[in-house]
Amino acid sequence: MSAWEKLAALPRELVLTLVLIAMIIPTLHPLGLPIMTGQMAQDWYDTVDALPEGSVILFDIGYGSGGYPSLGPANIAVFHQFFEKDLKVVIMATALEGSMMYPLVMEGVKPESNYGAVYGEDYVFLGYIAGEQTAMAGVLGDLPALVSTDYTGIPIAQISILQDVAGADDFDIVAYLTTAGGTSEGWVYQAYSAYDKDVLGGFLSMMTTSMKPYYDTGQLLGLIDGVKGAADMEFLTRHPGDAIQSSDVLSFTQTLVIILILIGNISYFGAKASRKEET
Amino acid sequence: MVSSDPAIWIAAFFTIAATSYAFRDNIVFKFAENTFIGIAAGHAIVMGVKNIRDYGWAHIMNGEMIYAVVFVLGIMLYFRFSREYYWVYRYPIAFLVGNGVGISIRAGIHSDFIKNIAATASPIIAATPLDTVNNILIFVGCVTALSHFIFTYEGIHKGTIGWIPKVGRWMMLLSFGASFGNTVMTRFGMYQGRVLFLLRDWLGVV
Repeated sequence: MSAWEKLAALPRELVLTLVLIAMIIPTLHPLGLPIMTGQMAQDWYDTVDALPEGSVILFDIGYGSGGYPSLGPANIAVFHQFFEKDLKVVIMATALEGSMMYPLVMEGVKPESNYGAVYGEDYVFLGYIAGEQTAMAGVLGDLPALVSTDYTGIPIAQISILQDVAGADDFDIVAYLTTAGGTSEGWVYQAYSAYDKDVLGGFLSMMTTSMKPYYDTGQLLGLIDGVKGAADMEFLTRHPGDAIQSSDVLSFTQTLVIILILIGNISYFGAKASRKEET
Repeated sequence: MVSSDPAIWIAAFFTIAATSYAFRDNIVFKFAENTFIGIAAGHAIVMGVKNIRDYGWAHIMNGEMIYAVVFVLGIMLYFRFSREYYWVYRYPIAFLVGNGVGISIRAGIHSDFIKNIAATASPIIAATPLDTVNNILIFVGCVTALSHFIFTYEGIHKGTIGWIPKVGRWMMLLSFGASFGNTVMTRFGMYQGRVLFLLRDWLGVV
């Protein structure tokens, strides 16, 4: 095996150890690299900022524990903005684990102590509703016909925020964060296309390339692009959290990946050239 | 300061156990994997039962007997396990497929076809030079990528115009590259979340 071939076959343990080191160093000693706010996150922030006080938002937690490191910080940041602006938030989950993420997010936002929000009056959690697009169509079509209680079992007749909410016409905007392809397109189909509602979406970075056409065509008014978008939202809402802390680390590790890709390519072509010389 | 919360210690153990697979398959990882599958299955069952209770049974209790139809359809799904009455299972599946397609297809055509075609067919000359460049890239990318999938006329892939689908292929490869970069960032973002948890919440060094 030539030196080039040895370089191309770096043991994965070595690569992973380098990645781990590249994550730990900037976590312990933050570099403080500047954050350049993206236009997609800025549009999300501006859209919510333009809503009048008391506007009703339908918000979907469409991610579970796997998506929490990416979308959890974004969720906390956008909720800070919602409650700061005195918006009414009807929260549901299209992800099975969404109901487990809800308390984690609320622990980060603390709407009662930070903003004086009252459960049932300013926000409500309906829990997980199965069926993806069928659930979306049901909630937007006739909410009281679909949902009889909130997540804790309180009948919706006793929840003041839901007294004037019957369906899509009563929501001023639909917002969601999701790791699921069906959900990401589903809200655009069911809220924008079917009811012409304003829609905001947040996704894992790996989904952004497939979801950006919806943003470019105005079907999504704002878009949160994974951890990068979450860091943007934390910066814009002035509530720094895990995402801003992760930004340095991601910049550092992405640089390492670029270096490894370059090494891989150089060694590939080097090995090819040396084989040609041998023959 | 190292956390004294047992829940944090359990979470830290499972984080390390789950990520240990990246180095090599091992018994600790298998323990974490099986535990996760068990908990996830248990949680799914609980949520499933809760859904049946909240979105089905509660309505029947309120006198909305039409919801009994849903229960009948649900029970019919279990005929999948019978060799003799397997055909009964096809009726609720037909209902599910028909319902799902009916709900999504109209809006899907509007969002995925009409809106995207309308956006692609917009004037190439835009307000700013950068937008104009973007519009040219979108137009060239769209037309050349579509030409790559023309299989009824072989001539398009050969001869003097053979470069058009080739450009389309390069455009798609650029798109795949962007997707790969975003995927790497997503995975690192997830891993970083756990590293931050270990260093901050468990070891207390951040």
